[in-house]
Amino acid sequence: MRRPGLRTRVTAGFAVGALLVSAAMALLSYQVTERYLLDERERSAGRAVLSDAGIVRAGLSGDDPDELEVLRSLDTGANRRALLLREGVPYSRTVDSGLARNLPDSLVALVERGEPGVQRVRINDRPAMVFGVPLGPSTALYEVDYLHELDRSLKALALVLTLAAAGTAGAGALLGWYASRRVLRPLSTVADAARDIADGRLSARLDPETEPDLARLAASFNRMVDQLSARMERDRRFAADVSHELRSPLQTLSSAASVLQRRSANYDERTGLAARLLVEEVDRFQELVTDLLELARSDQPADVAATDIAALARQVCRSRGLPAELVVVAPDAGALWQVDRRRVEQVLANLVDNAQAHGGGAVAVRVGRDPGGHVLEVDDEGPGVSPADRDAIFDRFVRGRSAGARGNTEGTGLGLALVAQHVSAHGGTVQVLDRPGGGARFRVVLPREDA
Amino acid sequence: MIEDDDRIRLALTLALEDEGYVVRSAATAEEGLLSQRREPADTVLVDLMLPGIDGFQCIRELRRTDDVPVVVISARDDTHDIVAALEAGADDYLVKPAATKELTARLRALRRRARPLPAAQPAELVLGELEVRPLAGEVLLRGEQLTLTRTEFRLLSELAEHAGQVLSRQQLLQRVWEYDFGDERLVDVHVGRLRQKIEDNPGSPQRLVTVRGLGYKMPR
Repeated sequence: MRRPGLRTRVTAGFAVGALLVSAAMALLSYQVTERYLLDERERSAGRAVLSDAGIVRAGLSGDDPDELEVLRSLDTGANRRALLLREGVPYSRTVDSGLARNLPDSLVALVERGEPGVQRVRINDRPAMVFGVPLGPSTALYEVDYLHELDRSLKALALVLTLAAAGTAGAGALLGWYASRRVLRPLSTVADAARDIADGRLSARLDPETEPDLARLAASFNRMVDQLSARMERDRRFAADVSHELRSPLQTLSSAASVLQRRSANYDERTGLAARLLVEEVDRFQELVTDLLELARSDQPADVAATDIAALARQVCRSRGLPAELVVVAPDAGALWQVDRRRVEQVLANLVDNAQAHGGGAVAVRVGRDPGGHVLEVDDEGPGVSPADRDAIFDRFVRGRSAGARGNTEGTGLGLALVAQHVSAHGGTVQVLDRPGGGARFRVVLPREDA
Repeated sequence: MIEDDDRIRLALTLALEDEGYVVRSAATAEEGLLSQRREPADTVLVDLMLPGIDGFQCIRELRRTDDVPVVVISARDDTHDIVAALEAGADDYLVKPAATKELTARLRALRRRARPLPAAQPAELVLGELEVRPLAGEVLLRGEQLTLTRTEFRLLSELAEHAGQVLSRQQLLQRVWEYDFGDERLVDVHVGRLRQKIEDNPGSPQRLVTVRGLGYKMPR
């Protein structure tokens, strides 16, 4: 599973943190409030019960008192109910409050020992407090105080606190989302700058002033880019120097070799052979240097312009002494391609040369398109390329197997590597396929500008 | 030939003399320019990296007084240098190492270009305020004569003769430079140089327009 992004994690962290804190606060305040309200209620109800007990004790002190009459004289309000227990007989003002059956045993035992007490119970699913006051031997007054109003208030409070906790968690998530966005924004600036640099715009720098907290990052980033571009400039100059230093003596060699070649008729056999070897090797060395220098700079971005691709392909064929009719243009190929003309020309030329050298000659150069982009294909009727060699063939200094049999004098071994480099500079791909009917098919796909 | 490397100068001289050319050589631009003033050559071969006055400056100096064909032969092969040399006024550009066969083919093509046009040409082509006289080798803009190099003149004549038609860069290379295959930058830079001379505002050309991806044309 993919790890969630930093922003998701920060947002979730803020939300969970806020939820934990607010839930704890809500729980605590609920408990404190509940405790306080219950204590308060117990105190006030207790006072009332004690005063009732005084009234009842006075009422019962006469001879043959009427217990019910005494109970009726009590002012118990809406929430309290009184029960007088005398000689095991319960007396109650109402017909049956069920109280007699619901007296908790522990409280009765306490009262029977002569001590007043209070206990919280549920009667008929209603929360209540039962007070017990001993009035004399085998006489006790019990009063129940129903708490449903208080309970409703507490439930309302719990609801409010729960909502508040949920709200706080939501606010935390929002804050986390906003904060992470703020924190990540400078990073996206860095990402943009890095992309610019990767695309070759080496002037891209970060402004350390805009985000003081990221000044160190900006400074290191800028230093890295400075060193990178200085190094690239050094490499570029070195490549240019190497190019110049190699090309200059090659000019001397090439011109001198052409003089030798022109006079070859005047040589004796051994001199002629030596001269021929010299001339051939100078030629080959010259091609090698040219390809190497081209390869060294082929990672530069493609310099694209509208190019008449069919005309270019025909021109490449003609320049190789092949008929222009070899070029097959698909009806949907499109006339103008946005490509680097010089590089695509070299791609086609090298593929055609490869077909001539190793594939028994090019039999078709196709210009077309497929959903992936522009397509160029060069077909030959040679032995094809075995699946094992299909990737290695684009490596440097890899020559076709048949070349070994010819004394390894054919080509520089860089032609297809250059093809791969030029194609990848366009963001495209090149691969070898089997040509239907035998032979190899080199297929280049270049991205279309409108895709 | 202006070339500072002694060995290259000697080898190129040997190779060209073998092909029947008479070569006079100089190691610096100063020396070469002086020699060209005293005894003008038919064609100048020049290297770009020279001590003192460099190749670009040397071409500009030559162009001030002369429409002699100039071929650059240099180890510098990036587009920037090639375009700069052509813009300075060179007619052609070869990257070292240049094969003798290639070099002599270019020199022959340049010589052909320097010859007068075949007599089948119309005597005068009028395109608005521009008059091209292929036979007389004259170009007039609002009656005033313009100074063009031979290559520029051939290019203008070709485009003017086919006014209203698009000519591709390859067609122009074949007809003007007489190359079967060539570097299209040659055409682009020469068109640019021509525009500097025949357009009122070379930045937005009216007389010699680019047809995107296809080539150039002069509207009728």
